[in-house]
Amino acid sequence: MSDDKVFEPSSCSIEQKDERPEALLRLHNVSKTFPGVRALNNIDFDLRKGEVHCLCGENGAGKSTLIKILSGAYQPDEGGEIYFEGRNVKLSPHIAISLGIQTIYQEHTAFNELNITENIFTGLEISNHGLVQKKEMEKRTAAVLDYLQSSLTPNMLMGDLSSGDQKTVEIAKSLVLDRKVIILDEPTASFSVSEIEHLLEIIKTIKQHGIGIIYISHHLDEVFKIADRVTVIRDGQKISTYACSDLNENMLIKDMVGRDASTFYKRESVPLGEVMYEAKNITGNGAKNVTFQLHKGELLGVAGMIGSGRSELMSVLFGAAPSQSGELFIKGKKANLRNPTSAIKNRMCFITEDRQNTGLFLQHSIARNTIVANLVNSKAFFMKPSEDYKTGDKYIKLLGTKAKNSHVLVVNLSGGNQQKVVLAKWFNTNGEIYIFDEPTRGIDVGAKQEIYQIMVNLLKQGKAIIMVSSDMPEVIAMSDRILVMKDGEVKAVLSKGEISEENILIHSIGGSKI
Amino acid sequence: MNQKEVTVHIAKEKKVSIFKRYENSTVTTILISFVLLIAAVQFVIGAIGGNIALPTIISPNNMFNILMQVSVAGLLAVGMTLVMVTGGIDLSVGMLVSLTTIFMAKCVTDWGMSVPLALILGLMVSVFFETLLGFIISRTKVEPFIITLGGMITFQGIALLLCDSREVRLLKGEFDFLKVNFIQGASFNGLNLIIPPYVIIFIAATAVIWALMKYSKYGRRMYAVGSNPHAAFLAGVDVKNMKMSVYSLNGVLVFLASVALNSRLGVAIISGGQGLEIDAIAAVVIGGVAMSGGKGNAWGALIGAILLGTIGNAMSMLKLPGEWQYMVKGAVIIISVVAGSISAMFSVRSASKRKKA
Repeated sequence: MSDDKVFEPSSCSIEQKDERPEALLRLHNVSKTFPGVRALNNIDFDLRKGEVHCLCGENGAGKSTLIKILSGAYQPDEGGEIYFEGRNVKLSPHIAISLGIQTIYQEHTAFNELNITENIFTGLEISNHGLVQKKEMEKRTAAVLDYLQSSLTPNMLMGDLSSGDQKTVEIAKSLVLDRKVIILDEPTASFSVSEIEHLLEIIKTIKQHGIGIIYISHHLDEVFKIADRVTVIRDGQKISTYACSDLNENMLIKDMVGRDASTFYKRESVPLGEVMYEAKNITGNGAKNVTFQLHKGELLGVAGMIGSGRSELMSVLFGAAPSQSGELFIKGKKANLRNPTSAIKNRMCFITEDRQNTGLFLQHSIARNTIVANLVNSKAFFMKPSEDYKTGDKYIKLLGTKAKNSHVLVVNLSGGNQQKVVLAKWFNTNGEIYIFDEPTRGIDVGAKQEIYQIMVNLLKQGKAIIMVSSDMPEVIAMSDRILVMKDGEVKAVLSKGEISEENILIHSIGGSKI
Repeated sequence: MNQKEVTVHIAKEKKVSIFKRYENSTVTTILISFVLLIAAVQFVIGAIGGNIALPTIISPNNMFNILMQVSVAGLLAVGMTLVMVTGGIDLSVGMLVSLTTIFMAKCVTDWGMSVPLALILGLMVSVFFETLLGFIISRTKVEPFIITLGGMITFQGIALLLCDSREVRLLKGEFDFLKVNFIQGASFNGLNLIIPPYVIIFIAATAVIWALMKYSKYGRRMYAVGSNPHAAFLAGVDVKNMKMSVYSLNGVLVFLASVALNSRLGVAIISGGQGLEIDAIAAVVIGGVAMSGGKGNAWGALIGAILLGTIGNAMSMLKLPGEWQYMVKGAVIIISVVAGSISAMFSVRSASKRKKA
């Protein structure tokens, strides 16, 4: 009988609780270098049994890199050591899982057409002489779901579950498979308030079981509710580790900020003119009641954590996604942006976050990519291909794109040069209102400076820019004003004097949701 | 990247130039080499038999003959190019040709209509059905493969109902106006040379579609939609209507193919269009159109269609059994597409090398 293998909460080793907690997982002197970037720098980190250890840091501080090292997806640089239960280990994704380290990523990796039991046991089916023991698997699943005090039953279809319930199933899977470490990366990103509370309850339950939990969240209120210890990472360095009881929100934010401002890009300021673009009470596509004005010559930064609804708002502002209510005004006139075509006719440009998937035609030439958006404005039906190449060549020269000529396929260019092709596409439409969504993501430092200079030149020509950026130095250095977003709402509008890392963070992660 | 590196890359690209980019040059090369190979075989066989003569495969009569044979499938291939460049596919064209030919034949034979009226109605039928498919494809997220497969079966049903599962004869040769010879009296080696109007229509339609795709705003947007629909949408292209309109245009080419088929056969029959969609897709794919869209042109489809026709022709020239045709045709399709994918591999490799440099 395999009954002895059934998950039994009563047999948990809670008696260890009073002993001095030993490190379940320990990183010593771990660094990770990518070409040109040092993502992690001599990190020391440890996780104890039955502890919730939160990782905090801005976007791009190095949290994801750390997780990927723990899950075996990345190998640390020479000299870094990882100890698991006191043993020095070298992790690969396979080894990490067999040691009992389970990473639960933000995106769901479930099989929607299978039920909960099948999802949990995929690849690890219990079988007897080749026959799958369905009853046995259901029994174990039910036991764990029961233990988690979940209302789910083993036969529910995964695709029918809410994202909160799907996360519960993933945690249940870790318990069924007897994992020792669970890493939760932004688990509550798309959760409702009650789902967050339920998840936090579950985490409190399973840590009783002696499992170590690494929890990453942009929501400080969650962190304070469940953390035993908190580690702050900034620019790939560990800043500090606190016991949660010794900590308050201000201390945490102070640790997360503190970059040397003298290294920031210095841009020329441009006098502001009249209002070019105005949003009044825009709601829809995740944005809630957003109101702002954008002036001629102004760069309006939009800050916030990833998942705060910034890109979704930009889609609405460009007419690419419908709004439920609210009004848009362009140069004082009410604009009805039904689709991107009408936005382009209104001289708007949208440099999207995901260049390769939403901005470029990778297998086409630079010329073809350059002329495509301006087709909206061209009256002629027939046009000479040679004109396309002339236009392409013109912008190659103007923007300093590194390509032989405009016949070159975009797929063969580097990230920075691809971004310049995207810019050429929009400059060619003679746009006046620019939306930049993460304009320098995946672009090396030199090309970044060039893009910044191009943006400043646009402002000097009397254009207006809305810039979404998760890069703190970038948004601080470039913006005249900053909208700080959280959960689809504008939490604060920071004027020039108020712009600081600390202020941005207070509004984007502070405050209470629960 | 400095000057020196640039020249190094050019040199590297030259090395792989045969497979570098799969465009019309490649399929043309395959066609010419195939014809020359068969001609050489014929010549050698002739010489062994003590008869030195021009290989029949490259005689003008035979070449015009091939053109006549491939016109119907070629017209469909040109339409298929439009659909596939925008990222779609149309399996229904073969059966729609059967339906349209039967419908037009019924019009003139059984319902006593004049030929021009039958033509107008035939055009309306094929454009209507294609537009309907295009509408469904552009407004839902269902794969065009599935929708047009359903269309194919439906059209077969409608056509069978129309003709009562029998053939419809065009007794008075109502469609023979497309069979007149443009170069009446011209001959070569004592054999008459024939260029009928439908061959001209085939070549003219290819030229028009080619020009539309290359020189118009509409054509540029077509490639954009095929290459990256989401980016095209954000660049102000009406993606849904673009997708629908290429199916409508395809309907026009289906109509032209139907007229050509009616005049060639002088009888409308359900099997007339059977399998033509496969020939059309094969021609288009050989001609360098990517299944994923965004790449290819109508000349490629024309040459692809001629290549397929030439294979069958060469088989009968060499007096090989007809069964061999399918094997050779299949092999040519696979070879040309694999050549395309090898070229893509080379270009990706050279791109990554360039990035490292």
